[in-house]
Amino acid sequence: MTTPRTDAVLRVRGVTKSFGGAAALKGVDLDLHPGEVHALMGMNGAGKSTLVQVLSGVHQADAGTVEVNGQAQHGLTVHKARRLGIASVPQRRELAMGLTVAENVLLGDLPTRGGAVRWKAVNSEAGKALEALGIDIDVTRTAGSLTVAEQTMVEVAREVRRGGRILVLDEPTACLSSEAAHQIRELVRTLRDEGVAVVYISHYIDEVLAVADRITVLRDGAVVRSAPADEFDAAALVRSMVGRDVVSQRVQRPAPKVEIGLAVHGLTDGRAVRDFTVEVRKGEIVAVLGPAGDAQSRLFDLLSGRRRPDTGRLAVDGTPVPFGRVHASLASGLRCVTGDRRALGLVPELSLDENLMLARDRFARRRTHRRAQLARRAAPLRRSYGVVSLAGNPPVGALSGGNQQKVLLAKWLQTEPVACFLEDPTNGVDIAAMADIHALLDDLASRGAAVLLASSSAEEVMRLADRVVVVSAGRTVAEHDIDTITHDELVATALGGQPQ
Amino acid sequence: MSVKTLPDAPGVSDPPEKARPRFSPTTLRRAPHTGLIAVLIVVVVATSLRTDSFATDTNVINILRQVSVVAVIAAGLTLLMTAGGMDFSMGSNVSVTTAVGAQLLAHGHSTAFTVVASLVLATLIGLVNGVVVTFTNVAPFVATLATATLLDGVALLVLNSVSVSTGTKMFALGNNKILGVPYLLVVAILVLVATALVMRFTVFGRDAFAIGGNEHVARLSGINVTARKLSLYALTGALSGLAGLMLLSRLSGSSPGTGGLSLQLQAVAAVVIGGTALAGGYGTVIGTALGVVLLGVVANALNLLQVSSNYQSVSVGGVLLIAAIANEMHKARSARH
Repeated sequence: MTTPRTDAVLRVRGVTKSFGGAAALKGVDLDLHPGEVHALMGMNGAGKSTLVQVLSGVHQADAGTVEVNGQAQHGLTVHKARRLGIASVPQRRELAMGLTVAENVLLGDLPTRGGAVRWKAVNSEAGKALEALGIDIDVTRTAGSLTVAEQTMVEVAREVRRGGRILVLDEPTACLSSEAAHQIRELVRTLRDEGVAVVYISHYIDEVLAVADRITVLRDGAVVRSAPADEFDAAALVRSMVGRDVVSQRVQRPAPKVEIGLAVHGLTDGRAVRDFTVEVRKGEIVAVLGPAGDAQSRLFDLLSGRRRPDTGRLAVDGTPVPFGRVHASLASGLRCVTGDRRALGLVPELSLDENLMLARDRFARRRTHRRAQLARRAAPLRRSYGVVSLAGNPPVGALSGGNQQKVLLAKWLQTEPVACFLEDPTNGVDIAAMADIHALLDDLASRGAAVLLASSSAEEVMRLADRVVVVSAGRTVAEHDIDTITHDELVATALGGQPQ
Repeated sequence: MSVKTLPDAPGVSDPPEKARPRFSPTTLRRAPHTGLIAVLIVVVVATSLRTDSFATDTNVINILRQVSVVAVIAAGLTLLMTAGGMDFSMGSNVSVTTAVGAQLLAHGHSTAFTVVASLVLATLIGLVNGVVVTFTNVAPFVATLATATLLDGVALLVLNSVSVSTGTKMFALGNNKILGVPYLLVVAILVLVATALVMRFTVFGRDAFAIGGNEHVARLSGINVTARKLSLYALTGALSGLAGLMLLSRLSGSSPGTGGLSLQLQAVAAVVIGGTALAGGYGTVIGTALGVVLLGVVANALNLLQVSSNYQSVSVGGVLLIAAIANEMHKARSARH
């Protein structure tokens, strides 16, 4: 695999791990060096998460060895891994949202005198911990008021302060604006310069090529290739991840119809959405580009009927739809696909098939529920949306993120929407699934649905949209036909500048 | 650097992140309810060895007859808790129903009228709980604990703090048998089976799982969550009414303290022992039935072994604690592997 170097801080040899007969890792080797950013790449379910979980003691390897600082570790537990300086920042941030930044950084280790917390020391120590990593956040803010990027930074600072020398970052830039993602990448470089061994997991090819020193590609639980980053180019990386070439290129769709499928006028809700107006014709894809969590999740709440806006009008297929009523929104033929599948998309305890059919069975006013029938009705959907499951019909919470996302899309897109709002539909999915999802959206528009796509990725917008509306801090800052703007101009606009 | 090439995989497989059944002794341990069944067997075997009067037809039938009332309440509670709800007032609803039923019969009203009036009243009480919980966002636990206390007082007012006997009226339900099986047990089994079928085979039942699993998703998927919750609370009310009538008939009357919080706690204990999630999203009637039987068997065994009633309470609490811990360990084990 890698050229053996003596200073590897962590060395994995021949690690295998299976779950109930299904092999998740098949003899994986991995070397981590201090001061090196080591990217783990692979499709959903390639074994990245399992490998990371073996390193951090969540799972124990069935066979193989894990050496930390030259010492073989047997029966690594989460506790032991922590003591050895192995820390991870999971995809879902784990901060105590009601506490301040300072308390979060020092969590479990607050300086006290005679049992009383020394608040001055808390703030100054936390401030120092952040400053050492070049993070500029006021330590007295509550964690709940932080942006996702800031939460990531605070978590990183906490782990480093606790003595984390091997830091696993699981998709730290997912759902971030390009500016925030840039800040995170800067932080990763700082960590590297401080001598931390960083394991970087990301689906963004360009980002990985820019930030990683070394890349290990996993496929089906085995290492396909491990090499210095400069020996990879984007095409080669995708090929080793997927095992074939993946093309997600703009396709020619039928021209949009004249009728307006979805019209939003003067939508205003607090500061999150200010005077948002858009008209989407049937068969057209209009993108709303902006940082995730900015106007986009609020748009989901408003269009789906979960929340009533201050002012604004909504019409689907020419018929006005009242705000604030989920039933009215659904009855109009508008389908809203959330970007937060855990909180608003799927019921984790229910089976894959039941989640797939959750909405359609309710629209069809079914009264009885038969598992065999359900499986029969769900089978073609599983096929056409590429939902793969080894274990029959598991609870949807047991699927990988990419598969969950496909279940979510299938759940809504099969209900023949007149108009559709999608929030970051390729959030957390691998490159092949991303191409599949893009094709699904092309198909959706070609069948005459009006598609409003909220996205934080300029690439995705360039790939899919006919028109793009750029929003920032709730305001519309620009609107373009997609063929009148280049990718770089779009990125520049989204960053707040003007296109050159 | 060396490059290892693999044959191209036709598709990307998704390794299960949670446990899948494996053919080993651990399979048995992870199967649902095995712990509960094991405890039940241990209690039964141990008691049978110590006393001859335990494993007799009469005693077994007697146990099942005694737990019938709790079973009816627990069945409704299973469905409600699966939907993420909670009704702490079912036992007190029983108190009110028995009190009102006893007074109606004692004042010469017909059995039919009494049955209908009691069931309607109990359903309305459940519906009021539902309205409060659904429209005010008060936590179900708090709201129904308040109504429980309130209803306890109402029951005492209705009885005027004295026992009311119903004599021979409505005697059959609580005391007669069909083919050696008490009517009470027949009713309890019908209710349990019906609840199980509803949870498994109707969209109404599946909606309960969806709402308990994630209420936001349920609402966004077109489920009328408000209407569903109202019907669920009304249903638990109606079942409380049925349980009240069963108890009234068995006791041939009502006295202060009939039903109430102790009955409620038995039902909650049975449901929790049966593995239904307090947070909603998961629940089984089979587990609840086993929980009800286990509590009944333990109480009966302690009686036969002539353990003082103070220790009986200690034992029931102990069983609940052990079952709750076992459930959590079971969950943790399934999540880790």
